[in-house]
Amino acid sequence: MTDGRVEVLLTGASGFLGHYLLAELLAYPNVRCHVLLRSPMSASAVRLDGLLADIGLNLSALIAEKRIVPVEGGLPDSLSGVDFSGIDVVLHAAGNTTFHANGSGEPMKTNVDGTRAMLTLAADAGVDRFVYVSTAYVCGEQVGHLPEAFYPTLPPVRNDYEHSKWEAERLVWEWGGQQGVATICRPSILFGDSRTGRASAMKGLYLVAKATEILARAMDSGRETDRHQIPLRILGRSDATCNVVPIDWAARQIAGIAMKPAIESSVYHVTNPDPPTHDEIKCWLEEYFDIAGGRFSGAKWPLQDANHYEDLFYSLGNICLEYFRHGLTHESRCAASVLGGHRLLDREAFFRCMKYAQATNWCRSRSEAEVFPAPIRNVDSKWYFESFLPESVPLSVVAKVNELTAIVRYTITGSDGGSWVSRFDRGRLVETQSTPATLEPEFEYRLSCEDLADVVTCHRPLQDVFFHGSAEMFGDVERALKMVPIIGEFIKEFPVVDRECPVPVC
Amino acid sequence: MLIETAITEENVRIQGQDRMLEGILSYPNDGACSSALIAGPHPFLGGDMRNNVVSALLKALVPQGVVSLAFNYGGVGGSEGGPTDWPAVMSNFWKDGTFAEESDWIEDTRSAVAALRQWCDLPPLLIGYSFGCWAIVSNLQELRASAIVLISPNFKQHAFDQLSECSAPLLLIHSDSDFTCSLSEVVAWADSIREPRKRVQLAAGEHFFRGHEAKVSGTVLDFLKGHNILWTD
Repeated sequence: MTDGRVEVLLTGASGFLGHYLLAELLAYPNVRCHVLLRSPMSASAVRLDGLLADIGLNLSALIAEKRIVPVEGGLPDSLSGVDFSGIDVVLHAAGNTTFHANGSGEPMKTNVDGTRAMLTLAADAGVDRFVYVSTAYVCGEQVGHLPEAFYPTLPPVRNDYEHSKWEAERLVWEWGGQQGVATICRPSILFGDSRTGRASAMKGLYLVAKATEILARAMDSGRETDRHQIPLRILGRSDATCNVVPIDWAARQIAGIAMKPAIESSVYHVTNPDPPTHDEIKCWLEEYFDIAGGRFSGAKWPLQDANHYEDLFYSLGNICLEYFRHGLTHESRCAASVLGGHRLLDREAFFRCMKYAQATNWCRSRSEAEVFPAPIRNVDSKWYFESFLPESVPLSVVAKVNELTAIVRYTITGSDGGSWVSRFDRGRLVETQSTPATLEPEFEYRLSCEDLADVVTCHRPLQDVFFHGSAEMFGDVERALKMVPIIGEFIKEFPVVDRECPVPVC
Repeated sequence: MLIETAITEENVRIQGQDRMLEGILSYPNDGACSSALIAGPHPFLGGDMRNNVVSALLKALVPQGVVSLAFNYGGVGGSEGGPTDWPAVMSNFWKDGTFAEESDWIEDTRSAVAALRQWCDLPPLLIGYSFGCWAIVSNLQELRASAIVLISPNFKQHAFDQLSECSAPLLLIHSDSDFTCSLSEVVAWADSIREPRKRVQLAAGEHFFRGHEAKVSGTVLDFLKGHNILWTD
């Protein structure tokens, strides 16, 4: 600290939470933020510039005023040029949210190796405060009232993401015992800005909202069922809660924690003290999308006897249900910031978020794509076929091609490749299996990782990749060809843009 | 002796019946001996004027003195038009491979020939590839071709009865392996169409001729030379 100025090194600044954190830190007039940006820095700066502009900040001006100092580097192994000297606080918010490990080494690579590298460099430079952004769900399957404390043994985690966050917490906690003061912040599920509805990515609860929109669209297209009596089983209890916090509130809390002097290591839950229940969320969604009829059910996922509407609703998968819990509360000092009678997420804030989501086509508006024009050279195939397609196809025009019934294999060659088989039934993407799959494909597309990136980012049409020889079709070639324009329309509607591509974000 | 010529390639606009189409007009700068219209594959099956076979034909014909035009059917690339209810159209197309408004693309082909005639008054050679075969044959009565080249026609999907109404030299090129029909079927069909005709079977990459485009264009050039449509010395 020099002349009262606090030098903060922030990672993950161009992420969903990170740019809000940056804005909150800059609200402290004595803070200067050293922002770690992935190489090439010019492209990362364009991305950050767009995100900050959306929330009323001018990156160029802030750099000129020396409030922001861009630093080039990437996690975990491109930090050699990063100068930690003079840094008072490291706020490590970069993370990878891949739930299940794939061939890329994620989420361990970024979350564990990246944190270890940051801690080592911080220790070498004599930094004495390290603030780490973890997740409230590092608790795994535990229920009850969870204390704001480090879990000394690995909790019963449900996926690799939770495991990686606990490993990172362990490293941070150990660092705190030997090198300085460690602070762990555990936000729960992040949602849109409570003031504007804005969000730069739409996962978690947004998936439930998307699924509801899918149902509403199906009703719009003239099905015979009364849109207010949809026979839908909602898996879970009506009184279970959805611990969602608005991104603006969470960022303010974490920035405040980072800026507050600390003499000993500690853990903070950045969680909602009065989260909405399943039933409240259901009512809000029904009102917003003008549908009704869903009933809470004790049925188990996956439903063995799903009806048409349940197929539609659950076509996004069960991921949205994974974090809706019963009997889980959190000790939280941040809760004191919530004034009595005020709820962090109420009906009005929720509706604002829905309006924003729809206005931006669930964060895929053309204008957003234009903010990130640089070609993406690598798309995580597993993410694309197992997450992106199941999420997006139901919202796309493909879902209206009601004669489309087919089983398709996609084989992606190269080090990041793999093979997946998808079954379409009357336009709906019913299931996708990674191989070995039990589904028998009628036809197959085979292309390289590089061509996949070109195609799904709209830089090259699929037919061009095929007709000029670098992609192949097998099996029923006529049907494969017929599907090409359908895929083409889908990609035009849902291009992959950089911000949603699950590559490490530094 | 091959005639080496400097070539100009223009992006052109073609006035269709009720829509504007885009095309590529490619021509030699020092004289022409013929003109050619190249009609590409089905727009719903990836067909456009940059298709590998279409591009190879343009590249081969123009240096031989042929003013050549390739174009995009309505709704493809920069051409106006296309289906208004896309999901419904694709549903039908997926089900039975038909599109009620395919006749619009036949009309587009006629407009493209009319435009070609304005740019070059030499009798046109009509070349169709896949769906494009049907597009040109459907217009034969009005187009008065100097020769006809059909590359991988899908005769099981479309009728080619109008071939009998034109006596221009006819070349049929097909692959020995095509997903649209068996080899015996294409041979039988070729034997059933009118004379004069020439059938050439290529061992070349299924329906798409990927990596074998030069064989296709070379076969076309040989045929045209044989009929004195190209300069031969």
